[in-house]
Amino acid sequence: MMLQDGSTQILCLTAQSGVPLFSRGASKQLPFSVIGSLNGVHMFGDGQGVALSGCQTDCGGRVVWRVFHDSVMLIAVNGGHRSGGVVQGHVKGEELFLERLLENVWNCMVLVLGRDELTGMKNVERLKKDLRSCFGLIDQLLEDGHRGVMGNLTHCADCLLPPDPALVQEAVDGFTRSVDSEFGCLVVRGRIAAATEKWWRLAPQEVVLLSALMRTLSASGSASCDYPVFLPQGSPTVAHRLLRFQLLPGADVCVLCGPAPTLHKAQSDLVRQFWSPLAETLRDCLAVGERCLPAAVILRAPEILALLVVNREARRSVSCVRAGADDSPALPSRPRCWELLRLFYVFAVTRYFGQEEAPAPGAPAEEGADSRSGASGDFVAGLSHQPLQCYLVTEECKCYGLQTPQHQLFLLCPLSVPTFALRNVATQTLSAVTADTGF
Amino acid sequence: MAQDLQPGSIIIPDWHQCAESKDFFSRILYKKKRKQFGLLESPAMAPQAAVDTVQYKVFLSGKNGVGKTSLAARLAGLRIPSMHYETTGIETIVLYWPVKLRESGRVLFFRLQLWDCGENALRRFDHLLPSCKEQVDAVLFLFSFTDRTSFDDLPNQIARWSGPSDRVVKMVVGTKFDLFMHSDVTQREVRQFQETQGLPVLCTGGEVSDGLGDVANFLNGLAERLWHQDCMAATLDRRPTQCREGALI
Repeated sequence: MMLQDGSTQILCLTAQSGVPLFSRGASKQLPFSVIGSLNGVHMFGDGQGVALSGCQTDCGGRVVWRVFHDSVMLIAVNGGHRSGGVVQGHVKGEELFLERLLENVWNCMVLVLGRDELTGMKNVERLKKDLRSCFGLIDQLLEDGHRGVMGNLTHCADCLLPPDPALVQEAVDGFTRSVDSEFGCLVVRGRIAAATEKWWRLAPQEVVLLSALMRTLSASGSASCDYPVFLPQGSPTVAHRLLRFQLLPGADVCVLCGPAPTLHKAQSDLVRQFWSPLAETLRDCLAVGERCLPAAVILRAPEILALLVVNREARRSVSCVRAGADDSPALPSRPRCWELLRLFYVFAVTRYFGQEEAPAPGAPAEEGADSRSGASGDFVAGLSHQPLQCYLVTEECKCYGLQTPQHQLFLLCPLSVPTFALRNVATQTLSAVTADTGF
Repeated sequence: MAQDLQPGSIIIPDWHQCAESKDFFSRILYKKKRKQFGLLESPAMAPQAAVDTVQYKVFLSGKNGVGKTSLAARLAGLRIPSMHYETTGIETIVLYWPVKLRESGRVLFFRLQLWDCGENALRRFDHLLPSCKEQVDAVLFLFSFTDRTSFDDLPNQIARWSGPSDRVVKMVVGTKFDLFMHSDVTQREVRQFQETQGLPVLCTGGEVSDGLGDVANFLNGLAERLWHQDCMAATLDRRPTQCREGALI
């Protein structure tokens, strides 16, 4: 593979004619001949009535193909050697990662351009130009993994639990009503701190994608935005307006609304009215920081390197890494912890837990995708029961996974924690996170 | 009219270098960098030294890739994006800039909200341009020195804004001025353009250094014209200029 170690590249071509539309990721682009061959081999299979979905190279590189609506083909190419003893040679896991990525990239394209624009394909040159407007968001997805965002992988929205949830909830509800909308959400440090009930009823992928968009917009430092967005599942052909306001640096509120009110009006009349009284509450939310959990949640800090708690029903998650003050250099670095957490998540859900993707209420699930990525391989199929807990000891850390009907917990502990104590730490952590917060 | 305005005739041009301005400029700085203000924030002065704030809406107009987003980021002291991404909707940036009026010696905080919208988005979605035009106070027409067509397109851009509501400050901005090696537009052409259109032309580009000096000229020029326009309007229909001064927390 002509890619750097571990880097992932996304290729986009027209499904009918194989004309390259764009490629993202990896600083060094694959040569045209390789792109052509990747398309060719898929086309060959197609001609034989075989759908080629993925393959693996000798040195660990992986390719995943997917055609969307008979119009656009997306190919994800991974250079292999994704550092991580956990999943090395773990085919299913890597594929899940790439499949999710392709689905997210397609959803990005729909979000910005609308489905009609992508499937109509009247003028390829024009489409090529228009697709450039998706690059910001696609690049954000490719980089998100480095910033401690799990939603692209879990399809559960990354959340931050505010110290005073009732207050912010009330403000979000009120503000959303005031702009004649039912869809509103407060994002603190790139994670959802509160959202209206309807917001949570959007398809999980949409919630995750909108969060990614908010992170992109917030990172640019802009004060407010009026963005036309198509909802990949809820409204792929009619654009809504996403109004976003930066209340404080790092704290943004957004609403999905119709033609009224204008950005100018909403900003000058409504933002202050609803949010000025909450400036201090918002600062408290910001203070929660990367821990994502309010101070009231007490963790056995030295024993926890990283944790991810998924609320399976609500499709939300909270995660944090090295929340304790222990900065011992012997422990894996923060970015490494995030990577290990992602790897362990993929490992656990593909091998043991399975991931029933709750179909989005009111929206048809993407055809076939969920059942395929939900398959947890032959291993689980051979089991007569559903595993509830799993653990894994690696050279860098010890991992423990735990699932209840309501939650899943993925926990990384330092090697110093005795293996027999892992279960104890895990159950205590899960109840510490969920008991008082109602998460 | 704005073009008759002599630079520095209304506000003191190099005020950011004076010692007495330090207290004011320190309010828009944090760790020697420009401070970012959320919508709920504004520069806080001591109660006895409270200063009025005047708000203006400025729209950035120009072809794809001329650097509208970069100019907004540069003026606000934000990180200038290293890669060009199309802006797929309206994005606004708020910046605060203290100025001292020459005549009265009064100090004001200008709160400029820069409205930036990608050309493709404007074309695809009809509601965006009216939203940008709503109660706008100034339009900056951008062209890039490295893109000839963006310069040739200027008359079209300007024509879009010649309406009955002429109470809008219009300025032309040439971006990527530093890339003179690749310049597609000559200085003489710019001068000629300036004479025929009667609009002031400012140039920006190059590395961003410590913040204030880079943008002081630009922001003072813009602030001066905005203030002048308000004064003219006030004398014409006795509309008090104070109506802009909102109470800010």
